Amino acid sequence: MLPQRFDQAKPFLTLGIALLAWLLLPTAVKRVARAGFFELQAPLETTASYVRDLQDFWALKTRSKNELIEAGRDLARLNAAYESRIQQDASLRAELERLQSILNLPVPQGYRAETARVVKRDFTSWWQQLVIRKGRNHGLVEGSPVIYAGGVVGRVREVHAYTAVVELISSPGVRIAAAAEGDTRPISYQGGVNPTYGPATGLIEYVPLDVFVTPDTPRRLVTSGLGGVFPPNFTVGYITRVEPSSDGLFKTGEVRLDPGLSALNEVTVLVPESPAPAR
Amino acid sequence: MKLRVLILAFASLLLALILGQLNHLLGGWQVNVWCGGLFVAFAALRLDYRTGAASAFIAGLLLDAGEPVAFGTQGFLFLAAHAVIFNVRARAPRDETVVGVVVALLANLALFLALGFLRIDPTVEPARSWLRGFADLLASQIVLALIAPWFFAMQKRLLELSGNNLRDLSRRSI
Repeated sequence: MLPQRFDQAKPFLTLGIALLAWLLLPTAVKRVARAGFFELQAPLETTASYVRDLQDFWALKTRSKNELIEAGRDLARLNAAYESRIQQDASLRAELERLQSILNLPVPQGYRAETARVVKRDFTSWWQQLVIRKGRNHGLVEGSPVIYAGGVVGRVREVHAYTAVVELISSPGVRIAAAAEGDTRPISYQGGVNPTYGPATGLIEYVPLDVFVTPDTPRRLVTSGLGGVFPPNFTVGYITRVEPSSDGLFKTGEVRLDPGLSALNEVTVLVPESPAPAR
Repeated sequence: MKLRVLILAFASLLLALILGQLNHLLGGWQVNVWCGGLFVAFAALRLDYRTGAASAFIAGLLLDAGEPVAFGTQGFLFLAAHAVIFNVRARAPRDETVVGVVVALLANLALFLALGFLRIDPTVEPARSWLRGFADLLASQIVLALIAPWFFAMQKRLLELSGNNLRDLSRRSI
């Protein structure tokens, strides 16, 4: 029989050996194991999201016909407004292409919009991420920007067979090149701490000294288009506070993100199209 | 792989799914529930070392797979928590559900703090991060205390249905 002291230390010895073996394990094996464990859970989570959609469908079936008629009327008005916008957009695009052709300007990268339902929201104090119901099978690629009606959601971090993980702009690890609305000078945006029961927030650095903001007159922060991930002029949030930084050369501040970001059910992934041939 | 390890892994998968759905619903309020201690407690208290350690490690890997952390982080933390609980389990009436719940709560607290130190970015307002972390921890402990008896009973029943006698398993040493 083993002495009692060794018997007590054996679990920790086993732990140490297992840790050493894990560290020596090739990265490829770990990557395959990680993908395997993720794909094992994916069908269950996707099924749960389909069940939620079905619940919503049956909940909507309980609405009265009058409510549906009103909703249909509102949608018809919105559609009419969008139709006129599309016509304006088409004429502006034609004008833009004509000018690009005359001035021999480089054509900016195009995007294909892929709408996806949200499978799971995971908002911890350490990270903020979504799992969406589209993946490699739908042509999604890592790093693609993700948007919604309120602006930028984040970017695709991982792509799996039929799901993808989106890192939100509220996640502390995310950095974006942004700009104050109506200003072309770049500002560095970083996801901040997300307080309980409150809207998510972000932090900004390198704000020019002549940018002034008060909580009563917030200023819209938009993507700058620099960095090549996000197209320009998508809303990131609203700058609510700026103060001089410690070096006195710039300002730092806080950005309030849209509360809708915490309750998303559907997002749009902008899948980059292959670059157009040079003229 | 032993059948009982697979059964416990299935139970962990089910718990991860339920907690994932709960977090999906709580996301709108920026509240997150993390019950890592629950994945470890039953196996560490009631089963032999190998079965418990394997199931704790697999549960950790299941959680790691969907998170932006080094793969194996939670796996090894769960393994360490399992080793500690396994070493001290003889000093408590470990067959009692209340003891299991208390052990799960303590393990969850220790694991949450350990993960907090590993994950919180010291450059992004660490004090506010910890404040949010403590709010999440409070919610997690409440949820854990509520669901732990059900989860222990489910694990026990699944093992019994597959022909594993819990009394024999818990008496085995390393």
